[in-house]
Amino acid sequence: MTLNSTLYVLRETGHSMKRNPWLSIASVLTVMVSLVILGFSVFFLANASNMAKSFESQLEIATFVQSSATPAQVQALQSQIKTMPGVASVTLVTKEQALVDFGKTMGGSQSSLVTDLGGTNPFPDKLTVKATDPKTVEALANKVSALAGVDKVRYGQGYVDKLLEFTQWLRWIGLGVVVAFGIAAIVLISINVKMNVFSRRREIQIMKLVGASNSFVRWPFLIEGLALGLVGGALAAGIVGVGYNWITNYVQSTLTFLPVVQNMLLFRQVTVGLLLVGMAMGAIGSGVSLQKFLRNS
Amino acid sequence: MIQMKNVSKIYLNGARALVDVNLKIDKGEFVFLVGPSGAGKSTIIKLFYRDETPTRGQVQINGKNLVRMKDREVPYLRRSIGVIFQDFKLLPNKTVFENVAFALEVIGVSKSEVKTRTRVTLDLVGLAGKEKSFPHELSGGEQQRVCVARAIINNPALLVADEPTGNLDPETAWGIMDLLYNINKRGTTVVMATHARNIVDKMQKRVIAIESGRVARDEEKGGYGYDA
Ligand SMILES: Nc1ncnc2c1ncn2[C@@H]1O[C@H](COP(=O)(O)OP(=O)(O)OP(=O)(O)O)[C@@H](O)[C@H]1O
Ligand SMILES: [Mg+2]
Repeated sequence: MTLNSTLYVLRETGHSMKRNPWLSIASVLTVMVSLVILGFSVFFLANASNMAKSFESQLEIATFVQSSATPAQVQALQSQIKTMPGVASVTLVTKEQALVDFGKTMGGSQSSLVTDLGGTNPFPDKLTVKATDPKTVEALANKVSALAGVDKVRYGQGYVDKLLEFTQWLRWIGLGVVVAFGIAAIVLISINVKMNVFSRRREIQIMKLVGASNSFVRWPFLIEGLALGLVGGALAAGIVGVGYNWITNYVQSTLTFLPVVQNMLLFRQVTVGLLLVGMAMGAIGSGVSLQKFLRNS
Repeated sequence: MIQMKNVSKIYLNGARALVDVNLKIDKGEFVFLVGPSGAGKSTIIKLFYRDETPTRGQVQINGKNLVRMKDREVPYLRRSIGVIFQDFKLLPNKTVFENVAFALEVIGVSKSEVKTRTRVTLDLVGLAGKEKSFPHELSGGEQQRVCVARAIINNPALLVADEPTGNLDPETAWGIMDLLYNINKRGTTVVMATHARNIVDKMQKRVIAIESGRVARDEEKGGYGYDA
């Protein structure tokens, strides 16, 4: 492909886009919609898994020590759990501390509280165990509860699984929607290109009769498809970029407790990714129509 | 230059256009194909630039076998053959200049070369000054000359013409014949299908008559032959 052919091709591409602007617009918009959904899905999933992680990291096993245990035994238990694999940290909340904490939430003095509670401190000593990997919480809890001196353990059973299951579902639904729209976009682009090929069939026939190669005939249409996809991708990248920025700012100022992903690298990857996927859709769309057309001409 | 061996052509609808045709045309010859309507003249010409392929037999041009030729080699064959179509096959939304330059652009000739060669060729066919006109602004003869210009701009070794004077008044027709004569003088082989008796009779070139898909007559310096 020489420079001259390239210039020729670009000129032809411009002509053909002018020929049916509405179909071009429809193609661009479908590409855009499918990629906007794709972009937001990626960000949504990134946030969902980030959220899952941060919730998971707060997951801890509350280990209640038998009330008969002496402080020395409690401390021995603490160091024993600390050496178990998969344990990130173990902190001791003594029964006295528990009472103080409880008193703080209730208001009033400590001594009157003990009296109110019938003269004895009802709280057991508690060891708060944090796991390094949220997936091992359940196994770890079972092991800890089997240790001598442990009364019972409590942890967010099933909570992790549900969250993971939910993000898994989201992933599939997002993928399904994106694929559906992606196919629609490819079909529209291929109709677009096919109509242009059809409206220029005479020209193409003459081109081939004076010795144009298939690839020379094919280029303008391929580039047209690529351009449609690229424009759709660029619009989508813009919408997703601006939209996500707006949403994160909004969430951070109103729902401050929600962790939000603001990762420049991810941001750039998604933007570039949308452009590339848009172009790929364009190329596939025009490739499909051209393959059929040029084979039997 | 051109060789047809036992060529038969049956179209998809069953029409037997050619039956066992054998032909040999040498480099530099000027050949008329004559014969009644439906005899198979256009079919023969289409075989040359591989718009059609024979059902049986072999066609060779410049030693190249067109039957065994791969699809991707066809553009190169066509670049070595100029074709003048009876219906001109001009692009209505392109100017005269663009229509002729088209044949060069398609094969990637540089812009400046396209410009000079198109100018020269348009001059040669007597269309200087009409560069910016669109085909619908031209007379039939002028359109035919655009088609001739496009066919010869690549300096093809072979020029085939299917009734190039079909719709032209005698004077314009002779203008086209002058062009073909001169192109042939420069060494280009010319094959022309025609119904123009006076032209064939006057030119005194080789005449091949086709009837019902067969070669009925083949003579040097022949005449049109059929009674009026
Ligand atoms: N594309 C086609 N499909 C089917 N039959 C065809 C096709 N082209 C030509 N034919 C048939 O083949 C036969 C020869 O046609 P051809 O066009 O070669 O004749 P011709 O000698 O050029 O006639 P004319 O002088 O009228 O141009 C005719 O019977 C015609 O109907
Ligand atoms: Mg004919």
